Amino acid sequence: MNEREYEQLDRLIANLPKEVVPPATLWPRIAGRLASTRLRRPPMALAAAIALAAACLASLFTWAVMQGPKVPAVIQSIAARGSFEESRDPKYVLARDMVERSFRERLALLEPATRAKIESSLAVIRQAHEDIRKALAADPESPVLQQLWESTWHDEFDLYDHVVQATQPTMTRT
Amino acid sequence: MEAGGEPTDTIAAAAAGDTAAFERLYRQYSPRVYGLCLRLTGQRETAEDCTQESFISAWRALNRFERRSRFSTWLHQIAVHCVMSRRKGLRFEYEVAEPTTGLPDRADPGSDVPPLDLERAIAALPEGARHVLVLVGIYGYSHAEAAGALGIAEGTCKAQLHRARHLLTETLQLEKS
Repeated sequence: MNEREYEQLDRLIANLPKEVVPPATLWPRIAGRLASTRLRRPPMALAAAIALAAACLASLFTWAVMQGPKVPAVIQSIAARGSFEESRDPKYVLARDMVERSFRERLALLEPATRAKIESSLAVIRQAHEDIRKALAADPESPVLQQLWESTWHDEFDLYDHVVQATQPTMTRT
Repeated sequence: MEAGGEPTDTIAAAAAGDTAAFERLYRQYSPRVYGLCLRLTGQRETAEDCTQESFISAWRALNRFERRSRFSTWLHQIAVHCVMSRRKGLRFEYEVAEPTTGLPDRADPGSDVPPLDLERAIAALPEGARHVLVLVGIYGYSHAEAAGALGIAEGTCKAQLHRARHLLTETLQLEKS
């Protein structure tokens, strides 16, 4: 077999039609399942938890600002960066933005070394979140990935909660 | 609006939950997805199942679709992954494709080899060689893309393609033509 004959074969293969019309019965089968298959959205319980956390953080921050140091400009710029998963639900987006903004502002109240550790932890969590998101794009049905996906969300908000806990004694002393 | 030949508005509408828009996407993309699944699996029923699962998975994951890649590329990745996930459950008895099943019956103008013979020969290839030949030879994947989709090394991918070409030429007896 020489290269010329291989080229002939390659041409035959490449010229095969790429499309094959599926049976007409296939779409009705799919459509039937779409009705019972919702687009995956952040769980409602999680959205509610975010809203609650947002309210809590916002009120704590208001209190902290009234009594504590001002938020440095550098932290404000960090807070301006979008880093959360996009969602189309306006209420969810609003709550999520409130959480991130409040978290960043509270974070600024911590010592630089502590803040660096938290930023580092947050970066690890978000990298994991991004990796899982990519893996889910290729394998949306994987229950393990779905579980990990939600787990990283909880990890992120647990971290926010820890920041609240860590900043509270500081505020009490002032 | 279409960007790069892709119906971006329809994709966005489907991502927002519009099933009619999703049906339009199905009408546009399912022939290529089904063709890919049919050639990878060699079985009509399995190919139908994989096509169905691919579109269901796409529907569920549309709100995570990243516009950095083409929608068709993303959809094909899902389809290949679906086929690979089912691989262990397949019975390795390949059907001989007939024109009535929807497989092509158009001959290459310069070829003496009827396409159906070529389809049969491809379907009869060993699994690993067939997967690589289908992705690289028919659907134009690079070796790196095919290796990534199949979970094999790029060198293995190249070796499998060589093996597939060798087996096909023997089967089709192209050397005598």
